[in-house]
Amino acid sequence: MSTRPVILLDGDASSPPEVLGHKGHGIDMMRGNGLPVPPAFCITAEVGARYRAEPEATVNAIWDDVLAGMRTLEAATSRTFGRGPHPLLVSVRSGAAVSMPGMMDTLLDLGFRDDVENALATEGSAEFARDSRRRFTESYQRIVTGPAPDDPYQQLRAAIEAVFASWDSPRAVAYRSHHGLDDRGGTAVVVQAMVFGNINANSGAGVVFSRNPMTGANEEFGEWLPGGQGDDVVSGTVDVEPIAALHSRQPGVYDQLISAARSLERLSADVQEIEFTIQDGTLWLLQTRAAKRSAQAAVRLALQLLDDGLIDEAETLRRVAPAHVEALLQPSLQPENRLAARLLATGLPAGPGIASGRAYTEVDAAIEAADRGEDVILVRNHTSPDDIHGMLVARGIVTETGGATSHAAVVSRELGRAAVVGCGSGVAESLAGKVVTVDGNQGEVREGSLRLSAWSEDNTPELRELADIARRVSPLRAHVRGDYPRLDRHTEADVRSALASGHSDVVSASPLLAMLAAIRLSGVS
Amino acid sequence: MSRAAQMSELAVLQAVRLKGRVSRDDLAATVGENRFDVIDRLVGSGLLLDGPTLRLSPAGRGRLDGLLADERSHLDAAAVLAAYDEFHSVNAEFKALVTDWQLKDGQPNTHADIGYDAAVLARLDDVHRRVTPTIAVAAAQLPRLNRYSVKLQTALDNIHAGETMWLARPLIDSYHTVWFELHEELILAAGRTRETDDA
Repeated sequence: MSTRPVILLDGDASSPPEVLGHKGHGIDMMRGNGLPVPPAFCITAEVGARYRAEPEATVNAIWDDVLAGMRTLEAATSRTFGRGPHPLLVSVRSGAAVSMPGMMDTLLDLGFRDDVENALATEGSAEFARDSRRRFTESYQRIVTGPAPDDPYQQLRAAIEAVFASWDSPRAVAYRSHHGLDDRGGTAVVVQAMVFGNINANSGAGVVFSRNPMTGANEEFGEWLPGGQGDDVVSGTVDVEPIAALHSRQPGVYDQLISAARSLERLSADVQEIEFTIQDGTLWLLQTRAAKRSAQAAVRLALQLLDDGLIDEAETLRRVAPAHVEALLQPSLQPENRLAARLLATGLPAGPGIASGRAYTEVDAAIEAADRGEDVILVRNHTSPDDIHGMLVARGIVTETGGATSHAAVVSRELGRAAVVGCGSGVAESLAGKVVTVDGNQGEVREGSLRLSAWSEDNTPELRELADIARRVSPLRAHVRGDYPRLDRHTEADVRSALASGHSDVVSASPLLAMLAAIRLSGVS
Repeated sequence: MSRAAQMSELAVLQAVRLKGRVSRDDLAATVGENRFDVIDRLVGSGLLLDGPTLRLSPAGRGRLDGLLADERSHLDAAAVLAAYDEFHSVNAEFKALVTDWQLKDGQPNTHADIGYDAAVLARLDDVHRRVTPTIAVAAAQLPRLNRYSVKLQTALDNIHAGETMWLARPLIDSYHTVWFELHEELILAAGRTRETDDA
């Protein structure tokens, strides 16, 4: 055993994400920088790997260390796990080195039994205690699959084992295999003292981005739910408020949150996505990670971080993948236009693409409108085979019920129609007759006929700026015109052969893509 | 009208209902045998509306509903319900495999990965093995459902011959088209509705 099996995330863990998992590493980094994070410990990925061969023996061997970890959380919070008068509840999270689908969802509010609920009712309110226990019972049942045992330590052990076991869930195995990730190893587990966004009206939970991850604008972005817990915000089933609403409600907390977001961005030299909870007016940060972003944002944010001196030119170019640029060169709905249009319905994205037109709910009316030359969007409760002629004339398809394998989804993909399915009952009636845009990539229906546009290497300032930087960094300088050999295509093979022939300058129809390929080939650092 | 004539009228009207609008040739092909005479008679009596494609007239829909109700009154509801439940258990797997055929890791399947495609199509063989006896059980009550077995087999043969558009393409009697029409038939025969089913 090369490291301790259980490591306290007190800012001094000094271990890489491969050991702590990315969540554990983020928590340790935040605590190390004096940010308000509830105390936590992690069981290392190494233990997770051993668990796969010998589940029972592995957990037995580390259990005393887990108990010692719990004692530390108790001491840090002045609370006690499994009993009152000030009971400690914890969250249990999976945390592999790389985030992947199929891993166990976060389990919140673990540590309940009857007298714990009573003690929390006395401390907070009966409603708060009941709500938290209901959340625990339901999510334990769903996530660990099976009723929660009465003993909090048994709950803890079962939850930890469920995290370890989720490494071998079919989805996680398929994801690793597809992305060529190492299948050995295992996941770390993070156990963290709970803070409560559902304790009173002065509380809530949310997620904040240090800059807008969709448009790439240099403005804070996010959403939060007053009186909610973290899983409410992620679930998408509750109406959350934009982060600006927090500014008007609790300006002090808002300022502290934004300043933490900026400081985490500086520390990690990347735009961050941060989960937070406010408990009775006090801010707590639970998790931070590099924000997922659109292609537009990937380019704009890389340039901003360069301007802000957080990354150098070579890193700026590494932050933009050729696939980002290729996507930007295709006509698409620009995020700023998308977000400016009123959102009329959301559902599952079932057929990729964007389509605009007038919404019709009857097949015959849709066919007649299409015959008149109208652009038609077909909106139905669900579709069946006899709707096919309406689907054929429609540019986009929306349904109220049905999932990703429904008739509407299968046929839309087969016909190449943009489709959003399962938008909820009443959507057909509310959309009927309106001109709408169906966004089959995002799973949204927005008001109006939204124009698609593409970026170009010649005319989009961001791409020109990137190309200028690339000409300073790339071993192959590609130009729009000039007296240089011509590079017909920008594939890796073409770029490699140009480099091998000793060319340092070429003329290309896509100079930026050619140079991004050259930079990746040569591994410029 | 003889029972046989009624049955062929029912087969044609139901095929038009399930397909919404259909050309004469496609209709004749889907109901099997040579039923142009029945089609002509139904057009002549105004039960089908003529045009580039045929459609049910309101009277045709009324006639179809009557024939279906009559058909249902002769069958063993428990046996149909059992077949419907069986079908339901294989339905989810079929829909999942069609989706896996179309999408790989959430992106449109480029069909560049031959191993992936072969694994998906192998699941179809399994689905076909499971659904065939189910159709036989239902067809013992509703003999015209035997036609669905024939059509599924034809689609499967085409897929095996490398013409994979016969898996999910609409407007032709692809596996998915036939499957969905069969699903509609079973919902109807079992006295269920779309709303009580899943979409």
